[in-house]
Amino acid sequence: MSSATARVRTIAKKELVEFVRDWRTIVAILVIPLLMFPILFILFPLLLASEAAELDAVAVDVVVQGENIPEELVGLLENSSIETSYEPLPVLGELSTPTHDQERLRNGSVDAILRLRTNGTVLEYAVLYLSTSEQSLEARSRTFDALSTWEQNETVRRIDAAGLDANETLDPLRWSGDIAQSDAATQGEQAGMALSLFIPLVLAVWTFSSAIQPSIDMTAGERERGTLEALLGLPCSRMELLMGKWLAVATITGAGVLLQIAGLLFAIGYLASSDLISTPSISATALLFLCLAVLLFAVMVVAFELALAMRSHSVKEAGSILGPAILIILFPALFTQVINLDGIESFWFAIPVVNVLLALRELLMNRVVYGHVAIWLVSSTIYALGAAYYAARQFKREDIVTSLS
Amino acid sequence: MPPSLLSVEGATKRFGDVVALQAIDLRINEGDIIGLVGSNGAGKTTLLRLLSGVYRPTSGRVTLDDGADVEKARQRLGVVPENTGLYARLTAWENIRYHARMHGVPDDEAWQRTLYFAQHLDMTEALGRHTKGFSRGMRQKTALLRALVHAPSVLLLDEPTAGLDVTSARTVRELVRQLGEEGGTVIYSTHQLADAQRVCNRIVIIHNGEVRADGTPEALLEQTGTQHLEEAYVSLTSDVARPRNEDDKPLSKWSSWWRALFTPKTPGGGEDE
Repeated sequence: MSSATARVRTIAKKELVEFVRDWRTIVAILVIPLLMFPILFILFPLLLASEAAELDAVAVDVVVQGENIPEELVGLLENSSIETSYEPLPVLGELSTPTHDQERLRNGSVDAILRLRTNGTVLEYAVLYLSTSEQSLEARSRTFDALSTWEQNETVRRIDAAGLDANETLDPLRWSGDIAQSDAATQGEQAGMALSLFIPLVLAVWTFSSAIQPSIDMTAGERERGTLEALLGLPCSRMELLMGKWLAVATITGAGVLLQIAGLLFAIGYLASSDLISTPSISATALLFLCLAVLLFAVMVVAFELALAMRSHSVKEAGSILGPAILIILFPALFTQVINLDGIESFWFAIPVVNVLLALRELLMNRVVYGHVAIWLVSSTIYALGAAYYAARQFKREDIVTSLS
Repeated sequence: MPPSLLSVEGATKRFGDVVALQAIDLRINEGDIIGLVGSNGAGKTTLLRLLSGVYRPTSGRVTLDDGADVEKARQRLGVVPENTGLYARLTAWENIRYHARMHGVPDDEAWQRTLYFAQHLDMTEALGRHTKGFSRGMRQKTALLRALVHAPSVLLLDEPTAGLDVTSARTVRELVRQLGEEGGTVIYSTHQLADAQRVCNRIVIIHNGEVRADGTPEALLEQTGTQHLEEAYVSLTSDVARPRNEDDKPLSKWSSWWRALFTPKTPGGGEDE
């Protein structure tokens, strides 16, 4: 091993040791990404389900205003865990006019008010409720269910009375067979398609965001703490210093991104019981290009962040620059999600950030279009080299030895 | 005359419009224990940074005995910057070992050398401790051990006793004296003349970026016709010392305007420069 390689390795190793010894950064960059999606996809739905069950068990009070209410509807309302009370309908033009009933809803004495009025052969209705109250919303929802059931039954009755077949009249167009069988895409391809909708986004945003803290700590942090001067007096070139730090940040970021994706896949697998997302069918070539795209993206992003952080005189200054800089990734990442890959123009694959994200989407769907590959490979390499060159220039600045403190 | 280890030839260092050092000529010979004396902002740290290759001279040269550029020969230099530059999450030994590895010194050799000097500095017990809770004296000693681990030809110390208690300062001075007795070469920057007088065999007085005097303490007294070094120093640096400004960059127009917007006027009407 050459002495330059040994020095780069020594720098990277020291940075990693320092990183590992700070439990707060471990939690922020490694533990949170691993647990974020499982918590979001598993615990959150469980919590929601428990809240929904609790709400289902609640009896809601609904006042029904009107006369000559169909008996079937009365039965349906009473079978929907609704405690109904009946009142005469006030004189109104439109049934939705709140009048003094608004106050009853606001003070919680009633959860919803159903107003019914017969107008010829039509039963007119309005449901008054309070949108900021969960219980009122639930009352409204149950009332609607009852009304909907009654409407369906009444529709069938009226069609039958007219001498028609209700089933044929209401459902003249029908699917025949198993809908899943009609898709020509394999399960693996469908899985690739599903993954391509969020993996590039997660990868891009998390690569950028998880590199911020270590980049700042290893550059502006060193500058602020005054450790950089001693380091610059050592027999290593600034390029070796940059490479060592890049290696350390890339390792930390890579671990963070991998853990986040692992957490995401675990959560989806758990939720879907492997029916929705199966293993995507990706060829070895696509996988190779996928790794290459991620590598080039990481080179670019980490070098760019190290450069911006090294330009800063303090941790605070670096944070205020790199924090908003995530928008540079976020906007293209969101935009890329809606680009149609079928018949896509080649120039998209030359735009920074967008090119790698589109490449990831294509490759996850096992589409290896060599024309596109050539464009993103060349453009990404140029951008990565450009970022590395910019970072090298920042590391060669003489004023990096000084700090605000 | 002992061989020269390090030469500064007509070195000038500018930071924008500010001339931090002006045409410095200096030869550092083997066995020299040089006290680099000057007030705050005189240019001591800038000169040490030129000597360690952290700064490049705007004009002139800094070379080692074989003519090699100092930047390419840092292997032979040991540097203790003013703020020590220790990593708080590493132990003292890990800090030292990190520099040893960067110099290509095997771990066991680095350990033996560290132990030797640690005994002199009464630091053996602290080697395994994280440096986060270290006192200023402990940090300075660790930085010294770190600078000595690769047996450098020249040791550059920037204000090594600044902020130290009496005992720690004395220990550092004794180590420097011992290094001198063993034939080592040390450049010791300080603004305390008495400090330099105690340990150095050569004193370089630097003022407003210029070398005002260079010689043994006796030669300085003779040159200035004074009885004490303090008088000699005062007579050589009688012009007003400039403010320390080599690290400052002027603010951009926008930054100046923005800062002024949120800076209330001083009652006396004074304004920020």
